[in-house]
Amino acid sequence: MSTLPNDTDYRKYLDPRTLARISSLDLRARLIVEGLMTGMHRSPYQGISVEFAQHRPYVPGDDIRHVDWKVLAKTDRIYLKQYQEETNLHLICVVDASESMAYGTVGGDGAVWTKYDHATAIAASLSYMAIQQQDSVGLAIFDNELKRYFKPSNSPGQWKTVTHELCLAPRLRKTNTGRILDQLAEKLTHRSLIVVLSDFFDDIDGITKGLRHLRYKKHELIVFQVLDPMEIEFPFEDVTLFRGLEEMGELLTEPRSLRDGYLEQLHLATERLKKQCRSMHIDFERMDSRQTLDVALSGFLATRAASIK
Amino acid sequence: MTVEDCVFGSIHIPAPLAWAVNPAFLWAGLALAAIPVIIHILNRRRYRVVRWAAMEYLLSAMRKNRRRLKFEQWLLLATRCLILALLGLALSRPLGCADSTVAALAGARTGVHVFVIDNSYSMAYEADRPGARTHLDQARMLARQRIRQLSPGGESVIIVTAARQEAAAGRAGAESEPGIVLRASYDLEAATAAVDRIEQSYSGTDLAGALQLAARLAREEQRQPHKHLYVLTDFTRSAWETRQADLLRQAGSELSRLFGPRITIHDLGRQGQWNYAVLALGPEGNLVTNKFHTDFVATVRGYGSGVQTLAQWKWDEQLLGDGGRLVPSTDTQDLRQTRAVIREGGAHVLSLTLANDEPLRIDNVRHRVIEVAAELRVLIVEGERGSGMLSGSGAFLDLALAPRKQIGPDGAIRSDSYVAPELISDLELGNRVLGDYRAVIFANVPSIQPAQADQVRRFVEQGGTLMVFMGEQVSTDAYNTTLLQRGLLPGRLVARKNAASDASAFTLDFKPDNAHPLLNAFRSYERSGLDTAQIFSYIQLEPAAEAQSQEVLLRYVAGGRQTGDPAILVHTLGQGRVVTVTTTANPDWTTLPAKPAYPALVHELLAGTVSVGDRWLNLLAGQSLRIPPTIRLSGLPVLTDSARRPVPVEAVTQDGVTFYRSSPLARPGLYSLNTGNQTFPVAVNVPDDEADIRLLPAEAIRRALGDIEVRFAGDAIPEASLARNDNPDLGWPVMLVLLAFVGLECFMAMRFGHYRRK
Repeated sequence: MSTLPNDTDYRKYLDPRTLARISSLDLRARLIVEGLMTGMHRSPYQGISVEFAQHRPYVPGDDIRHVDWKVLAKTDRIYLKQYQEETNLHLICVVDASESMAYGTVGGDGAVWTKYDHATAIAASLSYMAIQQQDSVGLAIFDNELKRYFKPSNSPGQWKTVTHELCLAPRLRKTNTGRILDQLAEKLTHRSLIVVLSDFFDDIDGITKGLRHLRYKKHELIVFQVLDPMEIEFPFEDVTLFRGLEEMGELLTEPRSLRDGYLEQLHLATERLKKQCRSMHIDFERMDSRQTLDVALSGFLATRAASIK
Repeated sequence: MTVEDCVFGSIHIPAPLAWAVNPAFLWAGLALAAIPVIIHILNRRRYRVVRWAAMEYLLSAMRKNRRRLKFEQWLLLATRCLILALLGLALSRPLGCADSTVAALAGARTGVHVFVIDNSYSMAYEADRPGARTHLDQARMLARQRIRQLSPGGESVIIVTAARQEAAAGRAGAESEPGIVLRASYDLEAATAAVDRIEQSYSGTDLAGALQLAARLAREEQRQPHKHLYVLTDFTRSAWETRQADLLRQAGSELSRLFGPRITIHDLGRQGQWNYAVLALGPEGNLVTNKFHTDFVATVRGYGSGVQTLAQWKWDEQLLGDGGRLVPSTDTQDLRQTRAVIREGGAHVLSLTLANDEPLRIDNVRHRVIEVAAELRVLIVEGERGSGMLSGSGAFLDLALAPRKQIGPDGAIRSDSYVAPELISDLELGNRVLGDYRAVIFANVPSIQPAQADQVRRFVEQGGTLMVFMGEQVSTDAYNTTLLQRGLLPGRLVARKNAASDASAFTLDFKPDNAHPLLNAFRSYERSGLDTAQIFSYIQLEPAAEAQSQEVLLRYVAGGRQTGDPAILVHTLGQGRVVTVTTTANPDWTTLPAKPAYPALVHELLAGTVSVGDRWLNLLAGQSLRIPPTIRLSGLPVLTDSARRPVPVEAVTQDGVTFYRSSPLARPGLYSLNTGNQTFPVAVNVPDDEADIRLLPAEAIRRALGDIEVRFAGDAIPEASLARNDNPDLGWPVMLVLLAFVGLECFMAMRFGHYRRK
């Protein structure tokens, strides 16, 4: 692993424009978490306070913050305190790697921050934090099919696997989110916290069906819709030929006249998805890819805290 | 709404195109209206390409709003095209109709208004009008009233005057064309000021010229399709019944093409107006001398019914005779002042004044400067000199012209005659300055050198008289070559003709009842000998067919039958005259010199042909004084008017000759010219063809113009025409509509999201 920079202001690493200049996803994730925790004035390695459940023997690599020093003093044996929440939280990041996620306009100087970058940064950061907490982290990458699936694991190598796979996934194909979620629902055997990261430019009914399937299987779900600021604002003025990704065709038009209609359609779709998520008690968050990432991660942390109680 | 066709000169433009002042802008506007379409097409070709992820929503928005979007696009495009077309229409300044509602909408009318103002001297007639002393004052007032009604910025004004003008061509410093007071101008203040500056002229009327000038200026004003003509004149016979009748009809035809029915002629004359005028004044004969009594004649005429008037003759401002009382009459009357005795030679002023209180007094007085010949210098050039008395070829002429010579105490030979002949040989001709003489006589001169012949020609052209007598020495070939070529002979000399015998000598065909005017003196001259004088030889002359002003006074008769050969001829060359006698001046070939009639004949020929030398001192108002080069100047000439105000005189070179010329003398009266060594009076009179101020009916005016469509008005503007609604300029209302569309376009563009920014 590369070393963390000496600069103590980690909050700047929450800014996608800064992160865009960092090519390593591994480093990005760690900087994000550092930045987040700095803002929260807490030790990044400090777990959330939970009730003590039991001891377990220390194995090399364990976090020494949880060493029960009293037991060590008494017995000369190293035991770790285990808390109630450490009982098998399975975090699975489901990341959309379709062609539409390759769109991005944030950044500059040759470093463009795409929606996929944003999604993977979140996924990597969450995975990082989870692994630090001894949670199990899994990964699913999909486009129109489930490209890669790694079942949750808290082994030390899982983190590398996650970051490595996220970097490798090609972004050239269409999406079929609903079917993928269905497949995952069938695949997962253990209750998990599933974080879905996508732009959800897909059939909402299908997506809803997939989410409902996962909820039926008692999984916890957090949905992050990642959109580019151009998709949110649609600021185009002059005559433009829009070439659709994922083989959606072309349209030559004056964007000014279509702006209102487009925004209305986007809003309707988003609201519909949000409404469906709410009805299934699924947290839905729409993210602007130029926003700093603390928003997403703070939300996750709050959700996680609520789920542990 | 009726639409009239428009005529530009000889080009007839159909009505639709005459709807606007500048139709070209309309076409330009329609062409520009294609620009938004072109921009729209070009924009469709020039676009940026964006890879887009949220295509589904875009397509969905398009599907849902396709119709509305299309409609908005078309509406915006149509509005933008319409704006440009309206801009072209506004700039083209469309013309409305006479409808008052349309006229009320329009800000400015359009049109060019041409004023022809008669300022000839008949317009100085004093009519009893409040605020306008003369006809011209009333004309100015009318013109000002009309100009005040015009629309500033939309209607232009042209003003010309109708008084006869002296041509300005060749005059140094002349910048404006005479007769033009104001060229086309939109400045109505300047137009009003120009009307005020129109001065009363004392020359006659040249209506044909003024109307043609007005037509030309109006034709040049091509920006204004609608043209109006106002002629402000008195309807006098002198103005409308002129020798220029053809020109008036031509002008009328031209005006009708240009102005159509928009011609208004204001009649400023007053019914019953009358005038007395002195039309002519001068001596009864050609030559006035201080040796003989002189009879003066004046022509007076009344126009209209006037009052009794008193006529006063004056010589150099002194009463002459007892004048007389004139009975009012419309007939021409000749007044005579007989047997006036004139003692001194030189330039004198004869005047006749009609003393009354008529409304037009400017032609009640006429002056005439008369050059009284105290001594008429004549040069006699004889080809054959004689040693004894009456032996040379010119001796009889010398005696005839200046008989009864006396030898004075100083030994000089003097005569009582007004003629002072000088007898020289033809060899001395080159030493003489011909300008010192009033006449030159060749008597039996063999030939003339070409250079001398040129001098003689110039002498005659400038007003001198040449008399040519034949003789034994005369070379017909030399005369034909030298004199005939220069116009100094009336025809070719053929050959000498001799009578068969003394008994069958030729005679002259003199008949007292049918005598030439130059021989009037012999009508009552019994036994003058003119018809009995014998001519034994003469030189046959073939009068030239193209000779101008050639008159044969007498021909030869042989045996009672006409030979047809001329004996005495007179013809004009320039300002002078040439008398040709085809026989001798002495008894060599004829017995005429021995007849009692001979001196009288020579005197009558001389007096009847010699230039009196005062023509240049008698001018008409508006003419310039031109000082002949023969007048000796010992300093710069100074000309002053009757009020002793100086009149500019400048040196002018024309055809290689330099002379002095004054500016046009506008006011009639007596002027004074000082040449340094002499003072000459100069008489300036009004022309004699403007005096007839009797009015013509309107129909006669229309006929004079060729029966064109004309509106006649009096000396006031009708109330109806004070509220003018014709030809309103709709440019500004269209501009307002255009601005409304611009606002609408902005609103629509904003509404359709074109200008929205997040």
